Amino acid sequence: MSAAINGKFKEIVGSDNFWDEPADLMCYSYDSAFEKPVPPDMVVKPSDYDQVQKVIQLCRDADIPLITRGAGTNLSGGTVPVSGGCVMLTTGLNKILEVNTEDLYAVTQSGVVTAKFAEHISDHGLLYPPDPGSMKMSTMGGNVAENAGGLRALKYGVTSDYLMGVKFFDMDGNLVIGGGRTVKLVTGYNLPGLMVSSEGMLGVMVELIMKIVPVPEAKKSMLVSFGDVIKASETVSKIIQAKILPATLELMDNFTIKTVEEATNIGLPVDADALLLIEVDGHPEAVEDEYRKVIDICESLGGSVKVAENEQERDALWEARRKSLSSLARLRPTLILEDATVPRSRIPEMMQAVQNIRKKYDLTIGTFGHAGDGNLHPTILTDKRDEQEMARVEKAIDEIFETALKLDGTISGEHGIGSAKAKYLESELGKGSLIFMDKLKKGLDPKGLLNPHKMGL
Amino acid sequence: MYDDVVKELKELEELVLKCMKCGTCHADCPLYNQDGKEQSVARGKIALIQSVYEGRLEDAGKILKHIDYCVLCGRCKQSCPSGVKTDEIFLKAKSVLRKIEKMKGWQKFVLSIAMEKPELLAKMAPLMHMGLKFGSKKIKDDVFKPIIPIAGGRNVVSVKSKTFADTYGGLNKAKGEEKMTVIFYPGCAANMIYTSWGEAIVETLNYFGVSVYVPEVNHCCGIPAATMGELDLFKKMVNKNIDYFDSLDAKYIVTCCPTCQYGLNEMGPKQTGRSPEQEMMDVVVFLEEVLHADIKLETGEKTTIHFPCHYDRSKDSLLESFVKDNLGTDYTKLKNQSCCGFGGTFSLKHYGKSSDISTSKAEEISTKGFQRVYTPCPGCAMQLTDALAKEGSEADVSHPVQLFYESVVKKS
Repeated sequence: MSAAINGKFKEIVGSDNFWDEPADLMCYSYDSAFEKPVPPDMVVKPSDYDQVQKVIQLCRDADIPLITRGAGTNLSGGTVPVSGGCVMLTTGLNKILEVNTEDLYAVTQSGVVTAKFAEHISDHGLLYPPDPGSMKMSTMGGNVAENAGGLRALKYGVTSDYLMGVKFFDMDGNLVIGGGRTVKLVTGYNLPGLMVSSEGMLGVMVELIMKIVPVPEAKKSMLVSFGDVIKASETVSKIIQAKILPATLELMDNFTIKTVEEATNIGLPVDADALLLIEVDGHPEAVEDEYRKVIDICESLGGSVKVAENEQERDALWEARRKSLSSLARLRPTLILEDATVPRSRIPEMMQAVQNIRKKYDLTIGTFGHAGDGNLHPTILTDKRDEQEMARVEKAIDEIFETALKLDGTISGEHGIGSAKAKYLESELGKGSLIFMDKLKKGLDPKGLLNPHKMGL
Repeated sequence: MYDDVVKELKELEELVLKCMKCGTCHADCPLYNQDGKEQSVARGKIALIQSVYEGRLEDAGKILKHIDYCVLCGRCKQSCPSGVKTDEIFLKAKSVLRKIEKMKGWQKFVLSIAMEKPELLAKMAPLMHMGLKFGSKKIKDDVFKPIIPIAGGRNVVSVKSKTFADTYGGLNKAKGEEKMTVIFYPGCAANMIYTSWGEAIVETLNYFGVSVYVPEVNHCCGIPAATMGELDLFKKMVNKNIDYFDSLDAKYIVTCCPTCQYGLNEMGPKQTGRSPEQEMMDVVVFLEEVLHADIKLETGEKTTIHFPCHYDRSKDSLLESFVKDNLGTDYTKLKNQSCCGFGGTFSLKHYGKSSDISTSKAEEISTKGFQRVYTPCPGCAMQLTDALAKEGSEADVSHPVQLFYESVVKKS
């Protein structure tokens, strides 16, 4: 990039917040996805909206691709600058601006870390439910751009269910305001909705208005072990058919159970073919009633139930689930985490299919995930240096997605499309949708500068 | 030579590949929490090492400054879901990269004096002590603000005119019936600055019937050398100390510096393949778990604890109950559980950044009106003393054994 352009960037954000040395750039060439790293040409970290606007305008005038990046914990390569350009960090926009406990919303800048936001809300005696696995480091802006999910999605929904309003800049640097602070609002297009899952391709979000909710008064957790993973999967459907919506309903397969137990010695039943971790919450009386019904259902399908009697026991139960990914990660050098999702009634079929695929391609796959909302995480353990095995991994992934679509599911429940899943997009949405998305993108960003090539656009 | 450097970095591949780039290290990195820069956090540094040996980054010499910009608090390692040994990776990488970018002459000189000429350093102590007395303003008991900003405006605890080893070097016999003999390894900070900690610990151990060996000359644990990329010098210091430990007939090595313990008992054995024969542990853990010492005070003070990064974190709750129950204090856990930001050589090289990290902690201590902050690490104590002085807080920073020594042992 020319010295003159770099000088302009420095003038906007200050030389302390501008980097163009190869070593600095290399730190923004990747995210949490298993994708080829590509460094940007420069990185800027604006500290106010005015700087954001000027950076955008400079990129537009000089034809420089612009990639917005929060913490870079994306699992589909969404923040990898595949054709270079300018990476704009939002970590400098890290203030929570307002918590309104009367009207139950909070206003936050996009670079605030999700866990810090949730903690701040909890300090006010309220709850921000979305709890993606990366919440300790991901940013609120990133969560909206990817529509992050989490463990509580079954009952409480995902990020999009909490987004009331958004402030963003379009690629011309216009400030766009969508949504607001009221429960009902039908002014203009649903622009917050448009920004959800937009993966940084339609604008640069700087401020969000998020809905917050009262904390449930009571909760009850239990761990249920099954001799057959398919029975465990059927239990998930039965619980929901009984009109019970647990806050969380998580599943771990035998391979994951054994791996977690080996790594942590928590005392998990290693003989179990599958485990369900269930938590019901709400009004104390409702919780009491629901958890008894859940136990009956589990036992009728051969499950053996252990209820957490206190907070400590509850933590111990959740420890197992929280350690799933990490324990699996320690087994082999490369880990590929997928998020194919199906309607929850199809979970047994999906589990069966993953087992078949694992055998067919002779791979190590541990499966755990949010069974209650149909979002499983088949986790492939491999070694990126083994080319033959990697070829089999690729075929297995193709087949997992194919199966998910056959079961009326989706190729991505919560990780996004980015670069990693662009090639599968048409098989789910069809040509018409891609044309529509392409027109929308070209209309808002005619030069194709905002996070180019993602979703195949 | 460049090829050798790349080859040696490639030797780290097995350790490096475990990093799945999830970014969990962001959450606990004191530097990333300040600046939000990927260059500051373990994931970024690991990506840099990888990009050199995978041939994507050509000038390896440019990555040292990034890898070196690290407090070495080890919190990334503690929280890493994949078990990436970040400390081993960074120490090795620094020592490899030192081949390209040599340490500045004066730095090497200072380091070699500090490591290899402890007698000389001890002799210089009275001079430093005098300098500090005359060139500074006393702001509270033993805390000074230098008038000439030699230390970047830092409020310092004085270097004592006589080192701890000068006074206590050799065998300090138990009072009454001898239960056992241990070695007390003071580390440089307790030897030269927090000599009162050393005194309190040795006297308290003697009081409980424990005879204590104290090195006549305190040899540094070597960690400052390791953090500067001088791994050979580090190994030399570890060996020198283990030689000393092995020469004595003692059951335990007791210390009051978690970083020295990390250097001599964890990283040292990894690098040298040699461990001390005796079990090494923090003095509070020793008093509680080995001696079951009868320590009971009723101070009623409003206190909190700063947990040092290198402390044996499985003993955090032991330390809490010691402060709460044994010292009889009104204890509350700090909300801010971050690193204090000291990091030894890090705070010398980047005082401003180091100091920023401790600010929010000092604010919390000040706002909540704590009278005393306990910490079992002299480095953390120095850092917090400085931060609290800047915050205008009246809170004292103490070692957990100090008060018992002052009010019981000394009067016995």
